[in-house]
Amino acid sequence: MTCLLELSNISKSFAHVRVLERVDFDVRAGEVHALMGENGAGKSTLIKIVAGVIAPSGGEMRIDGEAVRFSSPKEANARGIATVYQEMLLFPDLTVAENIFLGHAPRGPFGAIDWSAMRSKARALLDSLDSHDLDVDTVVGTLSVANRQRVEIAKALSQDARIVIMDEPTAALAETDAKRLLDIVRRLRDRGVGIIYVSHRMAEIFAIADRITVLRDGMMIGTRNRGDVDQPTLVSMMVGRDIAQLYPKVDVEPGEVLLEARDVCCGDRVSHANLHVRAGEIVGVAGLIGAGRTELALTLFGITPATSGEIRIDGKPVTIASPREARDLGIAYIPEDRGRQGLVKAETIAQNIVHPILDRISRWFFVNLRTERSLAAQSIKQLSIRTWGGEQIAGQLSGGNQQKVVVAKWLGTKPRILIMDEPTRGIDVGAKAEIYALMGKLAQEGIGILMISSELPEILGMSDRIMVMNEGKLVAEIPRAVATLESVGAAMTNVDRHQETER
Amino acid sequence: MLSRYVFRHETILALLLVLALALSANLSDRFFTVDNLLNQGRMLTEVGIIAIAMTFVIITGGIDLSVGSVLGLSAITLGVVWKTLGVPLPLAMVVAVLVGALCGAVNGLIIVKSRMPPMIATLGTLALYRGLAEGISQARSVRGYPDWFYVLGQGEVLGVPTQLWIFGALAIVAAVILGYQTFGRVTYAIGANETAARFSGLAVDRSKILIYTASGAMAALAAVTFVSRVSTTRSDMGMGIEMDAISAVVLGGTSIFGGRGTMIGTLLGILLIQTMKNGLTLAGVKGDGTIIVIGSILILTILISNIANRVRD
Repeated sequence: MTCLLELSNISKSFAHVRVLERVDFDVRAGEVHALMGENGAGKSTLIKIVAGVIAPSGGEMRIDGEAVRFSSPKEANARGIATVYQEMLLFPDLTVAENIFLGHAPRGPFGAIDWSAMRSKARALLDSLDSHDLDVDTVVGTLSVANRQRVEIAKALSQDARIVIMDEPTAALAETDAKRLLDIVRRLRDRGVGIIYVSHRMAEIFAIADRITVLRDGMMIGTRNRGDVDQPTLVSMMVGRDIAQLYPKVDVEPGEVLLEARDVCCGDRVSHANLHVRAGEIVGVAGLIGAGRTELALTLFGITPATSGEIRIDGKPVTIASPREARDLGIAYIPEDRGRQGLVKAETIAQNIVHPILDRISRWFFVNLRTERSLAAQSIKQLSIRTWGGEQIAGQLSGGNQQKVVVAKWLGTKPRILIMDEPTRGIDVGAKAEIYALMGKLAQEGIGILMISSELPEILGMSDRIMVMNEGKLVAEIPRAVATLESVGAAMTNVDRHQETER
Repeated sequence: MLSRYVFRHETILALLLVLALALSANLSDRFFTVDNLLNQGRMLTEVGIIAIAMTFVIITGGIDLSVGSVLGLSAITLGVVWKTLGVPLPLAMVVAVLVGALCGAVNGLIIVKSRMPPMIATLGTLALYRGLAEGISQARSVRGYPDWFYVLGQGEVLGVPTQLWIFGALAIVAAVILGYQTFGRVTYAIGANETAARFSGLAVDRSKILIYTASGAMAALAAVTFVSRVSTTRSDMGMGIEMDAISAVVLGGTSIFGGRGTMIGTLLGILLIQTMKNGLTLAGVKGDGTIIVIGSILILTILISNIANRVRD
């Protein structure tokens, strides 16, 4: 089979940090080549290089055997490479047809846009994607996520794309839409298009990929044919060690129930949530994006207070109407979006660390600078934050160290219940291991931890108990002993995906 | 480490100020006289008092365009409550400041509760409050205040204009709050990342309402000294003063995007603008020429400061 696209020895560094190191990768016509790896493994960088968004620092890229160098996405486009982005890059106020042909609309005499040709071509494209139900005159802003994605794919095809990059296309989709998308991907493949497919969903990868390439810490770990590899092998290729080593789960005898939610609702995003967290226990919350996990955390933390139901702390009913009240009840929340919700990046580490406890370290409203300094020094030591000191601007730190500052800031409130939302998103493997070790230690000290995560290995590796959320409801509770990728995954998506895996 | 101080915006401003003072003294021998300098102090007080509160507002990432109108409305309130309603003057002064605080609180509530951009909200109340002031005054001015009242705007205490003492005291209190107290920390956090401030359990909404309320109250205080200084009350008082205050704050290094700024910077900004105005006037430059110079200095200073910032990092 011929290679449409060949990358050899591709490297990329950002300001002395190597994010890709001598990676080889190729795509053949009519195949789906899956790209896997943990967050921060270099997947995004690699596809951005292919798409012409960034230029590699070294290595060679060939299309049809001919060496190419892209200096802009437009050049990549011209060579037949199209990208379906995670965040949709469509214009919400334009129609489906206008979006598909934006920038390369069919022209009539005098260069005017030939509207009827554009509409009929758009119609034909959508039909070829088996999307007969999608009207070309609809305004894109009114479409569902799944339909917008179809428009994006049609747009890619309208430019005669021979290589289509799909970056976690099903991340935001419900089950039926995800299935339909996979059908569309197969259609593309059967037409001879080469597809680079990035996804975290194992079942999906096994359902659709012809070959699978795994990246880890910017290195290429290997490329396997789908038939030659199983899930555990892939996982260990991705994390680089046995799961047991990465997740140093400490067994703690759970104590009293610290936090209990009874029938807690928040609008229609959280409905009748029942859960409890004991002292020393790590409770994992699994679910797809949009399942309502973060919304549940925000309700427990008082950002969006519960609209009905009861929250109990130490068995006593409480109301939590603001983060300050949550803090005073011993609840801390480490948010999922570090840069937006967790840190004031423009301020120093010390200033960030004392934000939640400003009232506690001040007298007559004067901030006690000595206490601030010593707290910062203590946190830096305790969490081994790599910095030259508490006066360093938080935004200058690496992702992992920023996350440690967020953790430090909330540990400073002396919480008894710690809610961690995607605690290791976008941080390197080393920092991950440190966060996991810290979680174990905190549990030993009797803190109850509620951990929300989209990474199933992390959920399985760290939790004593796993709660699964689906469409705003807690749908399953699975003890550590019987939890598997399959059982948790099935509860997350509410259908048995196992059959599809076997195809 | 030294470069951290050398390239600070405040250092650049202080150097510019020394330069402006030296130039002004050179251009006219009337500049460096005690009388002139104290008189200049008198002139800058109203803008200065407003700029103190404006520094907090802009550090939160907001803006208050309505302060000039609040000044006008408070001035009219003072005159009408005293003269027409016959309320004793000290009480009328209190009422005027309360009206200013109320105007500010309304701004704050609109901004916090409706999530309207501060620029739009205060642009609306800029017109609204001025309209109220004009409606109340019916184009009549109020004059004939008792003599003791003029001590505030025209008198001296220990040889220094009375209002300069008030301005100085307010500036010191504000600098302490901003630099050393929890409220200052919250102000910076809101401007640098409001969401993170909220997620940290900080009282974001309450602090913002308080800051806009203070901004209104300070504008009213400026109104009282203004009326005392010019011996009369008119509804068009303080028109455009918001731009002078904002210019001083921004020249002082406060980021219009929020999260950055100091009270010292604002003070230096006020002094620099007033020095240039005075120096150029004494040198015989006409009013329009003065404005051109001040505008250019504003842009150049920020430009130099940005370049220095890049060098420092």
